[in-house]
Amino acid sequence: MDLTAAGGSATGRKRDADTAARVVGVDTCGSTPVVWRMADVKCCRDAGVVGSLVGSLARQPRQNSRLGRPLELLDEEVRLLAESGRAVLLLRAEGAGESEDAHSQRVKKHQEDLEQSYAEQRALALQEKKSILQRVMAEKKDEDSVREHFEALERNFSFPRSSMAVQLCTAQAGLSYHADERSFLAASWPLCQDERLETRFSVFRDLRRRGFYLTSAGKFGGDYLVYPGDPLRFHAHFIALCISMEALTPLSDVLAIARLGSNVKKTVLLCSPQESEEDVIYTSLQWSGMV
Amino acid sequence: MADKETSTAPSKVDFCSELLSPSELFGARTRSNKIPVRGQKEFSRSDSEKQKERLQQSLEEHWALIAEERVERLGSLVKGLWIPGERVVELQSPAGKFWHTMGYADQGKQFLLPEEALYLMECGDLQVFFHDLPLSIQEGYKTLLSPESVTLQQYQVFGHLKRLGYAVSRFDPSALPTHYEMQINLPQKNDKHSRHLKRKLDHSVTPTPRHSEEQSLSKRMIEEKPETEAIPGLAGLRPAPSVSPEFSGGQGMDLDEPAERSRGTSWWMKEAVEECPGVSDSENTSTVPRWDFSSISFPDLGSSMARRSQPLVSPDPELLPGALKVGECDISPWLRRLNLHKEKLMWKERERLRNQQRYKRDINADPEVRKCKKWNEYLELLEKRRRHRSSSRRSKPAHLWAQEVKPLTHPGDSSSHGDLLKKISVIPSSRLLDEASRLSGDLKWRISFNIYQPDMVSEYKKSNPGTPYTRICVCSFDGPVPDLQAIKQLTYQSGNSPVTFAVVDHGDISFYSFKDFQLPVDVNQ
Repeated sequence: MDLTAAGGSATGRKRDADTAARVVGVDTCGSTPVVWRMADVKCCRDAGVVGSLVGSLARQPRQNSRLGRPLELLDEEVRLLAESGRAVLLLRAEGAGESEDAHSQRVKKHQEDLEQSYAEQRALALQEKKSILQRVMAEKKDEDSVREHFEALERNFSFPRSSMAVQLCTAQAGLSYHADERSFLAASWPLCQDERLETRFSVFRDLRRRGFYLTSAGKFGGDYLVYPGDPLRFHAHFIALCISMEALTPLSDVLAIARLGSNVKKTVLLCSPQESEEDVIYTSLQWSGMV
Repeated sequence: MADKETSTAPSKVDFCSELLSPSELFGARTRSNKIPVRGQKEFSRSDSEKQKERLQQSLEEHWALIAEERVERLGSLVKGLWIPGERVVELQSPAGKFWHTMGYADQGKQFLLPEEALYLMECGDLQVFFHDLPLSIQEGYKTLLSPESVTLQQYQVFGHLKRLGYAVSRFDPSALPTHYEMQINLPQKNDKHSRHLKRKLDHSVTPTPRHSEEQSLSKRMIEEKPETEAIPGLAGLRPAPSVSPEFSGGQGMDLDEPAERSRGTSWWMKEAVEECPGVSDSENTSTVPRWDFSSISFPDLGSSMARRSQPLVSPDPELLPGALKVGECDISPWLRRLNLHKEKLMWKERERLRNQQRYKRDINADPEVRKCKKWNEYLELLEKRRRHRSSSRRSKPAHLWAQEVKPLTHPGDSSSHGDLLKKISVIPSSRLLDEASRLSGDLKWRISFNIYQPDMVSEYKKSNPGTPYTRICVCSFDGPVPDLQAIKQLTYQSGNSPVTFAVVDHGDISFYSFKDFQLPVDVNQ
């Protein structure tokens, strides 16, 4: 699996072929679907699922403009992945399910890894010191004194445990997709369905199929913000509002959303899935300019 | 970074393991901590090579940033232990700078609440162990967050505010003053220091001595108010020496009289005073005013036709300086020079005068008004007259009151426009907190956090945090908007701080608040 290539080809038809084999491991936090692993995050994007990053960014955790993993997904996004067979719900090996033996082995493994890491890091630190020394000593011709220096360095070198670097893992380690642990998400995620969610999903699926990227548009008073391409590079064009065909919408509501849309320089799309077919009927709103 | 790992460790089945190798860990010390700048977004899609390239570059930068793992020196990490039963993290090594705004101590141990611990894990300050193994961030989310403590949405709001620099603490309804305490405090709206005081004192002891003293003091102040207002006025009006002997004598001592006697400061003209019997007698004994203008007559030649022929008598020599002697004065030559013709007015002028006489009675001509010595007395008089008028209700068209629908006010009932406006407003405007104390019922919404502004954090004390900048109630875009009852109840519960609703929309957080608004009234009250 060449992830770099898969992650890189976000555009074009190649994408589907590349990622067809991959599945996205979806974890839940409470009832919210979240994705943790980097490969899964990329895989989502390749499938045109944007989601929203909700964690602190590792590099600069104390700011809000760029956030990091986990990637929170909309219910529609999970369902879309599930429908195409590309999502799998992560089963976790809870503490209770794990035998004491296995657990103590894991602890032992962790300790060993730490020791090994310490030893390796110590060696690396020593090596770094040596190379610095070598550079400094390069001018000196006296071989004996150089060797003496190196010996002294090796003798006196100390690498305190406290300066060892440790990783604070983002994703849970050791949780794998063994075939028996896989449970493909039911295509009808989330479990509780109602008409409103159904309408929203039909619109989501249709817009996605047409190549648009979608994010949530709560702040704009709509259902989705519709982007012509990856939201990383493009401004949103539309505010999609999902209204079922039968629903009677008061004119004042329509005017309110249209007014809001024109204020943020976006076009409001009224999206109504058709009863029988999979088609969605789109209506855009525009002020007529007549006075 | 993570991907490299998968290729170097093929033995592992989990191709997604994101563990860094020791050399990567060692190398992480020198990695950059700058966030790449995102370029200007584009509006339309051209599918040109250039655009694709830019997208490619953006995505690569994005993934590199997101993929980065937290790597910290072991020495700079605080170690904590997750205690699932208590839903807290117990610190195993001394706390860092964060202890200023987070955590609490109990029986000599330091603890962190789950949301605080998770936030610090995300900041790379804390490593939490559970069953002897460190928790990954993912496990942290899964383990530490729960509906019993803090949900994911609440944590998202917590983290958002923490990252902005606010000090955030859990809202504890029991730490707020009770209903009773709030009621006691009601008269003092701006009771910053009393609340401060209360926090320092034990909550269980409500009627503290200091407090009740304060209470009675303020009560006394209110009782004394009319008096203290009256005293300076009286003192100014009536200088001490003017208390004449007659006062102690058996003369009528009704309220008006003593004031009437203080001649020196009377601003009324002579006539008014003359209406008061016995005033002129007391004149000589009063020492303060040198001249009794009531007994000194100034000649009015124009109006007194009767005296026209008679010469003016010589004035009282007492009033004249030194050796000056003034004899009788024959006024007839002067009178001849006066224009004694009746003034001929234009029709308009006459009309104006008539109107003036009819409607605009000179207020000073009213003897009762003249008796008033103080503004308060005048207001009392007005009130008395108003009551009198409304009781008699001479001009009331009776048939209007005979039906089921009656006028809201009587003619002459109101002394001002504001008063009238108040009487005719059928539905009184209500404030957010009206009746809020009486509302009860289980609320779907709860206040989750108290927050304190970033610039105040340096002075923030966990033991005495003071009044929060605002309190946060976390809601979801998927849920309903809180109704008026909920808003009232939450506002009441929040007491002295406003309530802000943090609305979470899939990681995107917006803040809203409901403010009390009174429509402005353009009428003088």
